[in-house]
Amino acid sequence: MPEVVKASVEQLLQRHSARLWRARETGNGAAAAVPTGLPTGYAALDRCLPGAGWPRQGLIEILADQRGIGELRLLLPALAALCRDEVAAGEVYPSPRPDPAGSAHAGSGMPPHDRGSGGWVAWVSPPFRPYAPSLAAWGIDVGRMLIVNGAGTTEWAMDQALRSESCSAVLGWANPRDPHALRRLQLAAEASHSLAVLYRPLQAGLTPSPAVLRLALLGGGTEGLQVRVVKSRGGRPATVNLGH
Amino acid sequence: MAPLARPPSPHRVRVTPAFRPSSLSIPSRAPLAQSRPRELWLAIHLPSLLLDSLRDVVLVLPGRPPVAIVDLGRNGKVVRACDEAVRAAGVREGMSINAALALVPGLHALARNARRERQLLEAVAQRGVRFTPRVSLEPPDGVLLEVRGSLRLFGGASQLCLRLQQELENATGVAVRFAITPSPLASLWFARTGPLGARPVFVRHRDELASRLASLPLGCTRWPERSIEVLGTMGVRTVGECLRLPRDGFARRFGQELLATLDRATGRVQEPRAAYAASERFAARRDLEPEAADTARLGLALDPLLAELCQFLRERGRGVQAIEVQLRHRAVPVTRVRLRFVQPVGAQPRRMAELLRERLAQLVLPQPVRSVRLLSGPLIELQADAIGLFARDRRESGENLPQLVERLRARLGNDAVHGLTCVPEHRPEAAWRAVEPAATPQAGRKARGPAAMTRQSTTSRAEARTANAEARRTRPAWLLDQPEPCTVDRLVFEEGPECIESGWWDGHDVARDYYVARNPQGARLWVFRNRRGTIAGANWFLHGWFA
Repeated sequence: MPEVVKASVEQLLQRHSARLWRARETGNGAAAAVPTGLPTGYAALDRCLPGAGWPRQGLIEILADQRGIGELRLLLPALAALCRDEVAAGEVYPSPRPDPAGSAHAGSGMPPHDRGSGGWVAWVSPPFRPYAPSLAAWGIDVGRMLIVNGAGTTEWAMDQALRSESCSAVLGWANPRDPHALRRLQLAAEASHSLAVLYRPLQAGLTPSPAVLRLALLGGGTEGLQVRVVKSRGGRPATVNLGH
Repeated sequence: MAPLARPPSPHRVRVTPAFRPSSLSIPSRAPLAQSRPRELWLAIHLPSLLLDSLRDVVLVLPGRPPVAIVDLGRNGKVVRACDEAVRAAGVREGMSINAALALVPGLHALARNARRERQLLEAVAQRGVRFTPRVSLEPPDGVLLEVRGSLRLFGGASQLCLRLQQELENATGVAVRFAITPSPLASLWFARTGPLGARPVFVRHRDELASRLASLPLGCTRWPERSIEVLGTMGVRTVGECLRLPRDGFARRFGQELLATLDRATGRVQEPRAAYAASERFAARRDLEPEAADTARLGLALDPLLAELCQFLRERGRGVQAIEVQLRHRAVPVTRVRLRFVQPVGAQPRRMAELLRERLAQLVLPQPVRSVRLLSGPLIELQADAIGLFARDRRESGENLPQLVERLRARLGNDAVHGLTCVPEHRPEAAWRAVEPAATPQAGRKARGPAAMTRQSTTSRAEARTANAEARRTRPAWLLDQPEPCTVDRLVFEEGPECIESGWWDGHDVARDYYVARNPQGARLWVFRNRRGTIAGANWFLHGWFA
């Protein structure tokens, strides 16, 4: 009887291995346990993230106080990739187990396709106008942007956007004080296939959060953008300098 | 001279359709091409349309006087229709009003109302839409339904007629007469003759038409009275006698027009019919007892109305793009709540109710509500979409986006949600525009950045890439709505100046030198100096952040 139970637990663990983080695997086998992420476009940053990119499921928090230090630049290559629909393929047809060598490249093995652009990108309560000509220069399909000005209801709007399954990325600017609101967002982000990013002030880094990844951004004078990995499920704290 | 048509011969030979001038005297006896669509037309004739259209007026007349409907004819007022009692006294259609008054002294004359007649006819057509998609109006008093495909569904011609009659009686209360034949015109002719309540004429095959039509009096053709009179003097009183006349002689005497109607009636010539398109809208009302002071109760009261609307849409296979709810109060003007959908919505009561609740929840009622009214916008043809099987397909098609946009708008307001597009313009604030979020990727594809614009102008891809890299350096990701005055003492200039001087033609003239600058905290700013001196005491302005 105990054998049976043990076997079924093991099976369960195997089945949900993509969502499980196991401490003993944080060593060299880490890449095997974490699903492949969406490449950030910055090799130095990719190296610090467990899935070698933005986690495809779960909430990402970006903590920054200063504006104009590169808080969007961090995300734009990934958004452009989502618009091109090059990398989005891997997520809905996941390989049952990522390859142990960690070489399972997103989109590899997929038939070459041209299936139109990816989903929409929702910008919920951005602090300024996302400037279309600049986004277009980054390779983003401007026609797939959805701007939502929902001051005070940002979490609700993000939640709706995540649940609707029509967006490939949902970006929000808010600082939810209620831990339940954060938890709900995290659950919605976990359940959807969208990239979910919440921008919060640096101060919020002091309080715990259910997000899978938290990055603190510091624009240090002449060195350029410093990205500190505050929390990363399946990864380790690190600091990366992305330059200007 | 060959006769116009012959009785069908025992072996099946049909008369051809007409690709020849109809004055040619020899009807071809070649068998009919099978490709010709086989149709069956049910004609609905409303013999007492004039009286029926004014029935509610007649019913409220004090003392129920005998009634005649009059119209202005050539010699003054002429009786166009009258009820049975008046007819029994000897009054006939076409009689002058004075003659009729002499026969029936207490006659109450009502003016004919063409608008009501049309409405009644359309009401009949709307019922007809339930039996077949092909409905055509034949003003003033006929409606045609193409029922070939419906016969089987409704269990044969007699069953269909019975159902239709019941439906019409319940809905409009008009007296009707039916006929079914392969030719629309023949159906009308049959329907116009014969007593009320007789079994409807049913002619299944086209080659029977000529013989069956033969006994009809010429009056049913509604040819000009003069022509019928002339034919009468020739001893021609029925359609059959008319068909026996030589074609070219007939055409010469009475015109091609009448010959063409004969050809259409006998099925020699196909008659295309204009389809009737219902231009109806939904409206329903509900009184609240007691009056509702909170919006939650309003939501409950609206549910049955929404269910009715959805039933209405389902029956028609159509959708609406806008609905309006009117809330009536005791003393203050009506509160209107308008709901617009991004795409036409079919019978989806839950989606509508959800949006409506969201909208009602924000409403502040000036007074309790006494009654609610639900109105639909114009009905719109729904496009059938294939539903994606996988989440990925769904997301790509943006299928759920309209619902998302509606839900967000219901709570945040219409202007709070928009899409983006690039505009080829030098002034930074005019180089983008908020647009309606495009539901299709194709629509979104149109908007591309400077790179795409240069690509169109035959430059190479490499050049486009350079243009993009350039734009990334010189165009900020964040733009301020209003440039903010700023100081530049502690800024380090990295790029610039880029002079933008444009817009003299529309009153928003700008002349600015733009610079990319870095502040001591490491943030990159987009600042400009106004070339035409200071604005409100400031010379330097912050216009964006390179985030």
